Amino acid sequence: MAEGTGRGDALSIWFFVGVMTLSYGIVLLPYGAWAWFGGHEAPTVLNNLHPTFWWGVLLTIFGGFYTLRFRPRSGDTNKV
Amino acid sequence: MNLQALALLSGTQLTHLAPVDIIILLLYFAVVLFIGFYVKGQTNTSEEFFLAGREMTAWIAGLSFVSANLGSLELMGWAGSAYQYGILATHWYWIGAIPAMLFLGIVMMPFYYISKTHSVPGYLQLRFGEGARGLSAASFALMTILMSGVNMYAMAVVMQTVLGWNITFSIWVGAVTVAIYVMLGGLRSAIINEVLQFVLIWAGAALIPILGLIEAGGWTNLKAQIAANVGSSDYTHLWSTLGTFKGNPMGIHWTGIVFGLGGIISFGYWTTDFLVVQRVLSANNLRSAKMAPIIGAAFKMAVPLIVIVPGLLALAVLKNADGSLMHLVPGDIAKATGQHAYDEVLPLMLIRYCGPGLLGLGITALVAGFMSGMAGNVSAFSTVWTYDLYGAYINKKASDKHYVAMGRWSTVIGMLISIMTAYLVAHASSIMDYVQSLFSFFIAPLFGTVILGMLWKRATKEGGFWGLFAGTLSSIGMFAYVHTGGKAALAHIALSPDAQPMAENMYRALWSWIICVLVTVAVSYMTTAKTDAELNGLVYGATVIPSDGATTIWQKPVFWACVVAVVFIALNIIFF
Repeated sequence: MAEGTGRGDALSIWFFVGVMTLSYGIVLLPYGAWAWFGGHEAPTVLNNLHPTFWWGVLLTIFGGFYTLRFRPRSGDTNKV
Repeated sequence: MNLQALALLSGTQLTHLAPVDIIILLLYFAVVLFIGFYVKGQTNTSEEFFLAGREMTAWIAGLSFVSANLGSLELMGWAGSAYQYGILATHWYWIGAIPAMLFLGIVMMPFYYISKTHSVPGYLQLRFGEGARGLSAASFALMTILMSGVNMYAMAVVMQTVLGWNITFSIWVGAVTVAIYVMLGGLRSAIINEVLQFVLIWAGAALIPILGLIEAGGWTNLKAQIAANVGSSDYTHLWSTLGTFKGNPMGIHWTGIVFGLGGIISFGYWTTDFLVVQRVLSANNLRSAKMAPIIGAAFKMAVPLIVIVPGLLALAVLKNADGSLMHLVPGDIAKATGQHAYDEVLPLMLIRYCGPGLLGLGITALVAGFMSGMAGNVSAFSTVWTYDLYGAYINKKASDKHYVAMGRWSTVIGMLISIMTAYLVAHASSIMDYVQSLFSFFIAPLFGTVILGMLWKRATKEGGFWGLFAGTLSSIGMFAYVHTGGKAALAHIALSPDAQPMAENMYRALWSWIICVLVTVAVSYMTTAKTDAELNGLVYGATVIPSDGATTIWQKPVFWACVVAVVFIALNIIFF
């Protein structure tokens, strides 16, 4: 059963967690790469560590895992 | 959090959002609205709308339970307190939460759960009758809806201060979004969004302590820098400075922390405030209901990393443009001098380490925290209004469908009252302090009533009502006494002339709880108790508690409660 969203529904709450973090990873990762490799890092403290890029990598992995692990599968719908 | 002061700050905004930040913020709004529409089809009965169908797993109920208390108002306020008072602010996350959460899971949850009550006032009705239910339901409904308005206004002020947004724009965007998703999905929508918010808060704020500790050179170096900057090592000790009122920055004694905060305020809040208890009532079985607060407690212990550590880091690393150490000040001084206020510490640290993209994530986390706070309040309000006021006193025999419709309408009307409250607070900001104080009037005595109801068979209907009434009245009386009598009155309530305002809440809670308990006991002995048969399922000693189904030690809630307790004790020793 899809946890948290109600009986018979295909999308679990964890799928939403995955999609949201994956989306943020997908936005941050290329932006961080552009900032790092294009020399556009914002003038923040410790920007030499390229936090936007690495945080984007982390969110993409985390979100990707949850999205895949809890993706809707055929047969999940209409279960009670 | 002193938003009054924040609201008075100069109109200059701290930062602005880049297009990538706006994309991140819009993504959040799109997801939460989608969830509202997605779960609408699953909220047709009152149990589905008000209790999320009682089908949440322990993890979902546990994360939602802890997240309901992780609003942005708390995050920003406690980060500011950590800057102002040091690591002592951690007590509100550890001794001020963990023992109570574990107690709820192991001792109290079986009664809430097996009595099949839909709310805390509902339990009071089963145990003490209509008087106690009516008193607690009316006060709770009023307080939650006012608090929702305070949250709304707080979000608008923070958005104005940090990003320069118009107050009316923030109030209406937040209110309409929350009204839509709670009206459509009820508690289920609120819970899903709380779980999302919990993840978002960590995604948006965890970089601050990580990068901050790298910049400071680790925890040991951070402590040394704080000691050098403030001229004292008191800011990094949890307990060793609490022997006297004068020995610590907060002006409080360990008895206030242990008995007032840890013993009464936290037990009152975590075990009887329906806003948080409602999340656990949505659990799918007794074991999940017992495990949810324990899981919540485990995560709660980690929250100081993203709240307290940033405040402490600011004492060491926050610098002005010329490289000198930045000194944050109380809000009223900040207004006069143009400096930054304590409550701005979290946004300041966010801006320090996070450029475009990460900044958007941090701001989205704050917005999510505010909106989730409003949703929590308004969903709890609609449940208590529909079940414990409308269904109990106005229309007792309506159909289930009618109550669901009433739940949806009360959500919308609740949001409109919240909006009015927000504007009221905007025009007379001192009201906010009173609204925030109102909760403390009811929570401590309510804990006295509920705990006696659950653990003492002899407590009677009359004892429960008059105990709650006397405790609440005494709390209001002490509040009025301190606010009119000044420092001399505070010295009487907190039992020391050196006590600071922070101590007032704790000792007031302690005395009002004691008064509630004494009155309940005295009146109960003068009146007739119910029989054991009438108390079955409601009180220890008159109830056979069913098995929670755990067969191995790994499945036993009490085992995990012990694990959390050991970590809790270890953390207190490490930071003693």
